[in-house]
Amino acid sequence: MIETYFGSDALDSGKALLAALVIGFLFGFSLERAGFSSSRKLAGIFYFTDMTVLKVMFTALITAMIGLSYCMALGWIRPESLFLMDTIYGAQIVGGLLFGLGFAMGGWCPGTAAAGLAAGKMDALLFLGGAAGGSILFNELFAVIKPVYTCGASGVVHIYDSIGISKPLFALLFTLAAVGCFWGAEYIELRRGKGGGLWNSPFLKAFSLALIVAAVGLLVIPAEAVSPTLPCASSLPADESAMLQRLQEGEDHIEPEDLADRLLAGDSSLALIDIRTPGEFAAFHIRTAVNVAMADLPAYMASHAANKTAVLYSNGMTHPAQARDALDRMGYSNVYLLTDGLDGFMQRCLKPVSLRGEPVPEPLKLKIQSWRSFFLETAKPDSEPPPQSGPAPAGNIRLPGLVETAWLADNLGRNGIHVIDTRSQPEYNSGHIPGSFCLNPESVRGNSGGLPSMLLPADMLARVFALMGMNANDTVILVYGDKVQDATLIAMALERIGHSHYAVLNGGFSKWTAEKRAVDTILPSKPASSLVAKAGSDTFTVDADTVLRHQKNKTAAILDVRPADFFSGVKSDEARAGHIPGAINRPYTEDVVKADTGVTLKPAADLQAAYAKLFPSKDAPIIVHCRTGHQASQTFFVLKHLLGYTNILYYDAGWTEWAAHPELPVAK
Amino acid sequence: MNHTTQSKQAPYWNPYLAGLLLGATLLASFLVLGAGLGASGGIARVGAFVEACAAPAHVANSEYFGGWGSKPLTYYLVLMLAGTFLGGLFSALLANRINVTLERGASCSRGRRAVMALAGGVVAGFASRLAQGCTSGQALSGGALLLTGSLVFMICVFAGGYAAAWFVRRQWHD
Repeated sequence: MIETYFGSDALDSGKALLAALVIGFLFGFSLERAGFSSSRKLAGIFYFTDMTVLKVMFTALITAMIGLSYCMALGWIRPESLFLMDTIYGAQIVGGLLFGLGFAMGGWCPGTAAAGLAAGKMDALLFLGGAAGGSILFNELFAVIKPVYTCGASGVVHIYDSIGISKPLFALLFTLAAVGCFWGAEYIELRRGKGGGLWNSPFLKAFSLALIVAAVGLLVIPAEAVSPTLPCASSLPADESAMLQRLQEGEDHIEPEDLADRLLAGDSSLALIDIRTPGEFAAFHIRTAVNVAMADLPAYMASHAANKTAVLYSNGMTHPAQARDALDRMGYSNVYLLTDGLDGFMQRCLKPVSLRGEPVPEPLKLKIQSWRSFFLETAKPDSEPPPQSGPAPAGNIRLPGLVETAWLADNLGRNGIHVIDTRSQPEYNSGHIPGSFCLNPESVRGNSGGLPSMLLPADMLARVFALMGMNANDTVILVYGDKVQDATLIAMALERIGHSHYAVLNGGFSKWTAEKRAVDTILPSKPASSLVAKAGSDTFTVDADTVLRHQKNKTAAILDVRPADFFSGVKSDEARAGHIPGAINRPYTEDVVKADTGVTLKPAADLQAAYAKLFPSKDAPIIVHCRTGHQASQTFFVLKHLLGYTNILYYDAGWTEWAAHPELPVAK
Repeated sequence: MNHTTQSKQAPYWNPYLAGLLLGATLLASFLVLGAGLGASGGIARVGAFVEACAAPAHVANSEYFGGWGSKPLTYYLVLMLAGTFLGGLFSALLANRINVTLERGASCSRGRRAVMALAGGVVAGFASRLAQGCTSGQALSGGALLLTGSLVFMICVFAGGYAAAWFVRRQWHD
């Protein structure tokens, strides 16, 4: 299967531009070899004095037609990979007649004039200058000529469909007609005594036979192989006509303004799909969009958007239209196109009022402002392209640390932002921050050396994050439900693999929804990354022996964050009740507050004041622990990342281990 | 005449073989780029670039050229046009066919032919924008794809050409 630059939406890449230069070179070479660097020779077609134009053009057309038909029939190239021009009857009839006039007057057409200029023809230079001028004239008169430009627009129409015969049969008839033209052209030249040397020649006979045999071959090989990547359900004519009916009624389109309004309102019934290249997607995309390659659309539709209103967009409309039609044939009638594509969205919704030529009514002005702030607010100034990757979007936030919901809303969907939702899977499944990945905090823990609930080794943790597509440069945002420690336990895992670009969403998912921010139920998909742990990152986890040594030597403070009843030994759910002798108790619950919008950490100033009383020095070592390491992760985060304590140690095994070892001292 | 420097021009190729090479080039363009050959698109973008040099704000806000962005020349058809010139130059050099001249009938004045070439260019340039392509982009490439509109365009080009030919015939009279 050949993927073209057009098919991969990379026609503007450097490689494609180079390929175009090489193809142009062969084009110009062929034209000049044929004698098309002479206007007199070209114009000869119109006076029956030189039929070379007809011979060359039809030979080329038939050659490419037959060659491409074989490639398609053999399944080497999909029609979706080709740029198929729309049929616009009015524009092409009027344009064709005018073009013929210009061709006869000038003696050139644009391509031949470029070859003619190379051969030193000054009339070719004049023609080219005139053609550039004619294009400028068209631009200036566009408002006037626009009705003709769009008159009779019929989308992509094939001639064999227009006249109702099969493609191979039409190709054969076309080839026969071309061969007939070749013989006619040779005969005309023979009678006129100019050229015609090939009439009835062995060459012409053999050439004619070869073309006809090649065209007959198309009838013999099986009909167009259906693309393996777009398995097509058998499409009944009734489906097709129903689809065409919807197309005619414009029911397959969504206007940019409608889309902008619905996204702004957080409409979760929409699945916005960007089918451009990942590079373009990374550079900019409409907020909430997901990037899906065209070939992956059927799978994506089945898994993520079957019950949603799917809206496809690319820069323009051709690709989404082709994809939409293919999906429609597969039974997805819930697929819409964004009218005028991303270009239209930029022009109609995001173009600043000040740059608009037409007067903008006041209500629209307000809308444009809100759209711009929703879709562009966090984008860098126009002169600077948005970041391609990495933690750049973090910009004004401190990592590791807390981020506010507004910041996340502004940066959501940007490349390099990886959101992890730590709530339970049922909660996640029924609605989550768009693009966020579900990860249960328990999946970063396991039994290690007989100790339950131990943070997994770094290489295993790296694998867990790699499998969800997290990259080494990502800024990870941790979202909790009602337990801050769920987010901070994942944070401990990130600490262990040396990934310090993370933040906890302040207020968690409750605050996000309380603020009526966008939520959806789409499961995001990202290819697994090759993330690996940074060796030696975990310098904070300590074991029982280390704790015991510090406890005996009083070289580190021990901070037990369990609830006061467990610390005092009134309650116990372990082998022994009590606490490590000399430990200080500050329950983790003291650090959070339950607000109207859910649980949040207390303001940093309050925490600062509270801990300053317990630990005046920010550089002295402090060992934090709880029962299993879960609650202690929150205190670890508060002390180290919010308050700037520099030497926080984490006794992961905690009271579970300590209580189970009778030789270790316990106080009540 | 100095026969050692003014050597004879090589003959043109057999038109069917030139056509085969052109067809193979077009096929390569489909398979590599996913789009056919084109020339007028490149010229129009040069036009947009020139106009933007003179009146940048006007072009940026114009409905047609404005859609091509601030760098209209970064486009595959512009490179293809440059390639066409270079390929033509290579072939003309190889055939010793470079000759700076204004091609016309012997009885046609230079001025008349110059005006015809320029005016023909303006008309063809305008028409190719209207029809979204020229002989290469629509007639040849779209024709090979068997697109109805492209074949309609090709028929109309010949219809228009033959209808106009009689009126402009004298530029070729010897």
